[in-house]
Amino acid sequence: MKLHIVNRAPDAGRAVEQALSAMTAEDRLLLIEDGVQGALPSQVDGFADIEGRLYALRDDLEARGLMGRHDERVKVVDVDGFVTLTEQAERTLSWY
Amino acid sequence: MRYAILLMGAPYSDQASHSALRFARAVLARGHQLETVFFYHDGVYNAARLAAPPQDEPHLVDGWITLNAEHGVALQVCIAAALRRGLMDEREASRHGKSGYSVEAPFELTGLGQLVDLGLNCDRLVTFAS
Amino acid sequence: MRDEQTPDGDLLVILRHGPHGTSWLREGLDAALVGAAFGREVALLFMGEGVLALLEGQGPGALGQKGTGPTLEMLEMYDIEALYVEGRAMERYGLEQQDLLLETRCLDAAAIAELVDRNALVLTF
Repeated sequence: MKLHIVNRAPDAGRAVEQALSAMTAEDRLLLIEDGVQGALPSQVDGFADIEGRLYALRDDLEARGLMGRHDERVKVVDVDGFVTLTEQAERTLSWY
Repeated sequence: MRYAILLMGAPYSDQASHSALRFARAVLARGHQLETVFFYHDGVYNAARLAAPPQDEPHLVDGWITLNAEHGVALQVCIAAALRRGLMDEREASRHGKSGYSVEAPFELTGLGQLVDLGLNCDRLVTFAS
Repeated sequence: MRDEQTPDGDLLVILRHGPHGTSWLREGLDAALVGAAFGREVALLFMGEGVLALLEGQGPGALGQKGTGPTLEMLEMYDIEALYVEGRAMERYGLEQQDLLLETRCLDAAAIAELVDRNALVLTF
């Protein structure tokens, strides 16, 4: 299992699309920085194929006023949880 | 576990450096070893010894230096990416006939081969980029 | 017999930027060349805009900046022969293999996921 990290908003370029196409059925995806915009209910349908494997970083949601506005299907992790995700994954890939 | 971080974003231009520093601290707090932070692309600007951010902003360069002092994290800067961007230590500066220098220990200029070795030899390599 | 747990390649470099506009492509290629020079098995995947890096007929920039075409032509010397392009990007830019400088294999999303899985280290640029 690999962890894919996306720091770009769905509206900015193709990072999300590229990350999704490089994912296998077990891989997980973590949204950080502007990537957390993808956790909004209006955006989250773009991640329908990986439901249950989508995470977003709490600090970055909070800093943007998006904490609580995010879709409940997105699992929110703090930075400690980010490290845990990297422990559990054999490798990480970043898409920016 | 043995971790390494690859940072490819300029400080204060985007969030990548902040994210990398935050992640580095969390890795260490969880008891892992953070072997190296490797600075490549615009990430090399993190090694600028003259960085002087306003006092009410986090000082990223000092943040890296603290990681080195307290946890022995190596701070390796790709030499080719750095020289192009005007970042060089005293030795490179004199080799290029420059009167000042912009990088100093604990940051070290090194080759890109080091990045590939880190990626293959550490348990985890995590990239932050702009 | 292939061990399912052991990756086939050492390093996969994913290039997602076209030539000239930024240094991402050049600095990504540098990482690939260094890996190969150190004896690693290196593959390249051109995704998105990155497929434009392979176009025939590129030149230097207005100030004489080299661009990346000449580097790509050197890949074979470094034994970097595993070259892949993202099928969706080729389609989006209306490109065919005959438009490209080098022989590549065109991959759909499933094949890209598998390629990424098969390499010990993946660097995205």
